[in-house]
Amino acid sequence: MLQEVLLRMRGIGKSFPGVRALSGVDLTVHAGEVAALLGENGAGKSTLMNVLAGVHGDYDGVIEVGGEEVAIHSPKDAARHGIAMIHQELNLVPELSIADNIFLGREPRTRWGTRDRPAAHARTAELLAGLGLRLSPRRLVRSCRIAEQQLIEVAKALSNNVRILVMDEPTSALADAEVHRLFEVIRDLTGRGVAVIYISHRLEELEEIADSVTVLRDGAYIGRRDMAGTTRAELIQMMVGRPLGDLFPRETGEHGGGDVRLRVEGLSLRAEAGRSALHDVDLTVRAGEIVGLAGLMGAGRSEVLETLYGVHRPAAGRIELDGEPYRPRSPRYAIRRGLALVAEDRKAQSLVLGNTVAFNASLAALGRYTRLFVDRRRERAAVAGQVRDLRVKTPGLNATVRNLSGGNQQKVVLAKCLLTEPALLLMDEPTRGIDVGAKAEIHALMSRLAGKGTALLVVSSELPELIAMCDRILVLCEGRLTGEFHRDPAHGPPATQEDILAAAMARQAVLDQETADA
Amino acid sequence: MPDQTATEEETVAAKAGGSPPRLRTRMRRLLPVLGSLQGYIGLILVIVLGLATKGEVFWNQTNLTNAVGAFASRGILAVGVTLVILTGGIDLSVGSILGIGSMVSAMMLVHHNLTPWEIVPICMLVGAFFGLCNGVGTTWLRIQSFVMTLAMLSVVRGLDRQYSNNVSVGTQVVNDQGHLTPHSAQFQDLGTPGHNVLTGVLGQGVYYPVLALVVVCVVFQLILSKTRFGRHVYAVGGNATAARLSGVNVTAVTITVFVLSGMLAGFAGPIDAAYSASADPLAGTSYELDAIAAAVIGGTSLAGGRGTIVGTFVGALILTLLDNVLGLNAVSDNWQLVIKGLIVVAAVVLQRPGFFAAALTPVRRLIGSSPREGDEK
Amino acid sequence: MRSLIRPLVAVVAVVTLAAGCASKAPSSSGGSGSGSGGKKQFVVGYSQSNNAEPYRAQLNLQLEYFMKQHPDMKLLPIADAHQSSATQVSQVQNFIQQKVDVLIVSPNEPAPLTAAVQQACQAKIPVIILDRSVNTDCYTSFIGGDNYEIGKLAGQEAVKQLPNGGNVVELRGIMSDQPQIDRDKGFRDGIKANPKIKIVADREAKWLKDSAVPIMQQWLSRYPKIDLVYGQNDPMTLGAYLSAKAQHRESQMKFIGTDGLAIPDGGIRAVQLGELTSTFVYPTCAKEAADTAYAITHGKQVSKKQVLHTTQVTKENAAQLYKQYDMSGKIGG
Repeated sequence: MLQEVLLRMRGIGKSFPGVRALSGVDLTVHAGEVAALLGENGAGKSTLMNVLAGVHGDYDGVIEVGGEEVAIHSPKDAARHGIAMIHQELNLVPELSIADNIFLGREPRTRWGTRDRPAAHARTAELLAGLGLRLSPRRLVRSCRIAEQQLIEVAKALSNNVRILVMDEPTSALADAEVHRLFEVIRDLTGRGVAVIYISHRLEELEEIADSVTVLRDGAYIGRRDMAGTTRAELIQMMVGRPLGDLFPRETGEHGGGDVRLRVEGLSLRAEAGRSALHDVDLTVRAGEIVGLAGLMGAGRSEVLETLYGVHRPAAGRIELDGEPYRPRSPRYAIRRGLALVAEDRKAQSLVLGNTVAFNASLAALGRYTRLFVDRRRERAAVAGQVRDLRVKTPGLNATVRNLSGGNQQKVVLAKCLLTEPALLLMDEPTRGIDVGAKAEIHALMSRLAGKGTALLVVSSELPELIAMCDRILVLCEGRLTGEFHRDPAHGPPATQEDILAAAMARQAVLDQETADA
Repeated sequence: MPDQTATEEETVAAKAGGSPPRLRTRMRRLLPVLGSLQGYIGLILVIVLGLATKGEVFWNQTNLTNAVGAFASRGILAVGVTLVILTGGIDLSVGSILGIGSMVSAMMLVHHNLTPWEIVPICMLVGAFFGLCNGVGTTWLRIQSFVMTLAMLSVVRGLDRQYSNNVSVGTQVVNDQGHLTPHSAQFQDLGTPGHNVLTGVLGQGVYYPVLALVVVCVVFQLILSKTRFGRHVYAVGGNATAARLSGVNVTAVTITVFVLSGMLAGFAGPIDAAYSASADPLAGTSYELDAIAAAVIGGTSLAGGRGTIVGTFVGALILTLLDNVLGLNAVSDNWQLVIKGLIVVAAVVLQRPGFFAAALTPVRRLIGSSPREGDEK
Repeated sequence: MRSLIRPLVAVVAVVTLAAGCASKAPSSSGGSGSGSGGKKQFVVGYSQSNNAEPYRAQLNLQLEYFMKQHPDMKLLPIADAHQSSATQVSQVQNFIQQKVDVLIVSPNEPAPLTAAVQQACQAKIPVIILDRSVNTDCYTSFIGGDNYEIGKLAGQEAVKQLPNGGNVVELRGIMSDQPQIDRDKGFRDGIKANPKIKIVADREAKWLKDSAVPIMQQWLSRYPKIDLVYGQNDPMTLGAYLSAKAQHRESQMKFIGTDGLAIPDGGIRAVQLGELTSTFVYPTCAKEAADTAYAITHGKQVSKKQVLHTTQVTKENAAQLYKQYDMSGKIGG
């Protein structure tokens, strides 16, 4: 059944100044195969793929493509051998249109040597349609949401004639519906003999899409398994080198019996460029309760959190905090009223990447340590406490945040929020793109906070996470609430993936029905 | 210094938290504000060049004081510009604001016979007002700071020229007996070349422009590294969105840095007027470029979020001492321009964080020493 | 509330700007209505290269004053080219459009202004060129000082001041400016009379006092003996004087400047106060320009080239010269 070996990497090694990032790594990929690459952040997956894509000019070891040894010293070399890579960090020019981005550097020409825009637009529209994206090729990338931009990246890679496509966490920003769409595309590609190297932290995705999985740890090769017949527990053990307890350590039982911390009635928000509308959203969160917000991309989940946090100005709605009226004015005011936000995009919205751990962690709570001057000793003691509690892996409080792994960066964001001692913690995709170990620790932290009486309102695209962690799950669709599910069946319908997805796509179904009738 | 944002170098305080600070820790805490040796390479090179070619003539108090004094007003502008650049903006109007500050000071002295104690605050207020205009334009009207301050450069210079009728105003006011009036004499203390103040209190005294520059640098370095506002400045420049979501009032911080920059430019006005004993309608023209150059040579990133006042001070010293050394060596004006440009490039490259580590890597690999742990990719 | 402020600020800004423009508009358009009223009025346009130089500001004041002495001459608001030749070309063309009776130009640079002056000439508008030349003969009269002569006289004064020879330093204006080149050449020719006078250092101080101060400081450190400072304009020379005074060496040397403006901060006053040894008046040409314009409009012959001679300012004649050239009392508003 397996076709011939398309790519073989043997004994790959790579050093950076002062760091041995990879040593002796093997990777074999067959044509038509989805080969998953698994490992915690910092395990060397991205480095290995950067070697393959020609990002790093020099490396040790041998790369064979189609049985022939090749030297890959630049992205051009990689492209010549039919290797394309979709980086985790988006590589798009925000001020150009989708079509211009996809054909950047290889624009189709007319007979007279001018740019053939109609051809580019037609081809782009075709590619987008193949991914189920309904966007105009003329639209500026700047005005697209992250998920859409990611799919445009996919389209861009697809527009090249690829034999080996590397996808570095392509689904980290996608909601479930988009993920399924992407998987269809991947299956379509492999059906045509293309090999896909797939990097992801989501084990359940790998079970669905991957044929084989290769595990790396600390820059070293750990092993290769066929996906069929390999258990999740086994893979996790290979990744972390030790058996891991429950991924979602929230004990079952009665939660959320506390007072109402947040009551929202009739919250509405007008749509603007890059933000969805909200219509008449009602919700409550009690002290000690974890409430989840589910929905597809663009359903308005982030907008609920951001509006509560004072980023957007609501068009209508009444909000109460602990029974007192609350009108969101600015993030500053929200923090003063006991709110904190773990934003969706930690690099763009939460962290000053070029600055230190201490600087970032204390930024929101600086007033607590300041009279005329910042009391550096108290500040550092407080930050050090959080760094210890959250088990942030950092060389020191003065380490630059940019150099930390994704999981540790997210922990710094959490430290920043926790130092303000929030009564209501808003979390937008708190575990996106971080490794399994850090994920478990963040889940444990959420349970701990709820246990201490903090109210949590959590947005996540990973339904298993929401179902495991939340006492209640609210589902948004097109800016409206379309479902409410409970951990405790005594209070209402129980949360299952199928029901939540159905609610999330409820309106879509209605719209589809309407168009079908017409 | 220039490569870091005023933070300490001590390792995790979590462990060191309890123990009493010993002298060494305290020293280590102080040093990082001054930065690593690398930040001073440009300065050291210029000084070595000066000592090697001119020795005594270069390295004596009079010459050094003169050299720094010649740049003092631009150095003060550079401090304000550094603040603005740290937030990710730029201020091109400081040269013009210095110009109007110097003109206002001369007018106040000549026509209203005010004392320097009254003149300096008035000039600072005038400067702060134009800074406020810059701040309001960049925040409320959402004009990019480059455009807004470029416009102010023109507006303020025009007002200055209109106010002065294009005629320079001398600040040496003579009474009937042919002596300087008391207020004029006091005013000249602000900047007359070679004239020292606080003589007696401070031994031989200090040259006021140099004193003013040093005090401004110390005060603003303290503000940047010790106060909440200083942290917010770095946060706004490093990532304005993250700063806003962390509860920083980005608008207020932006307006404040422009006001401070304008205020410092206004403060530098009287010094400049006293320095040349007159307020010229063209005073301060193109000073903003020197100020920006000093900040950049000192390691301030034009992208914002990185840089220190100490760095800017060193950058200013490099520029002015280089000018001095070349002048003392009678290098022709044309070649001075060439050399200055090249040194600016060299200083920026040499002081880039990690430059030497990167330069040494191939060497180290050749020698074959084992790799040490360092920052990961 | 806050959403109101932003537009409000914008509106205020726009209104202010508009008002600023409007207040200027009538005066410039009103000028074109020449010939109105019973008596014929002759309209004169003057394009100045840069108002912000004190010498030129003084020239503007004087020209306005001397024009007022002729009741049937009307001077349009002076156009300032801000040191930009392109701006000046369009200003000259504007005056041609307005059909002024006489056009006076102080060219910023010779070459770029040549075509514009020729245009005026073709439109039969008499042109008076002040101070700097243009590369065409198609003008009515040129009035200017002789920079070479002024430099040479300064050199001769240096010879007089240093009978036993000595070390001279020279502060130069912007190197590419023609007056700089001429004054330098004249000065060097002037001191040839005494071979024991040596120029030990010269540098570009860009006509600016601020630039001259540190340059002089460096010279003072470098040369233990400086006998005379020659500055190509008074501000540079005064800057050097400040530096020397700070080191109490001002009495060891002579200071010779150029320009001799009768303003409180100018060279004549500085000679009077004993700061400068001597300076040379660079004539503003204002009176001559006004008289020439009057002569042209009244059909009289004018000479094609009028070279004005300088006056040396010394301690003896300074007070009297100041009175003669001072404009502050003569112009009301």
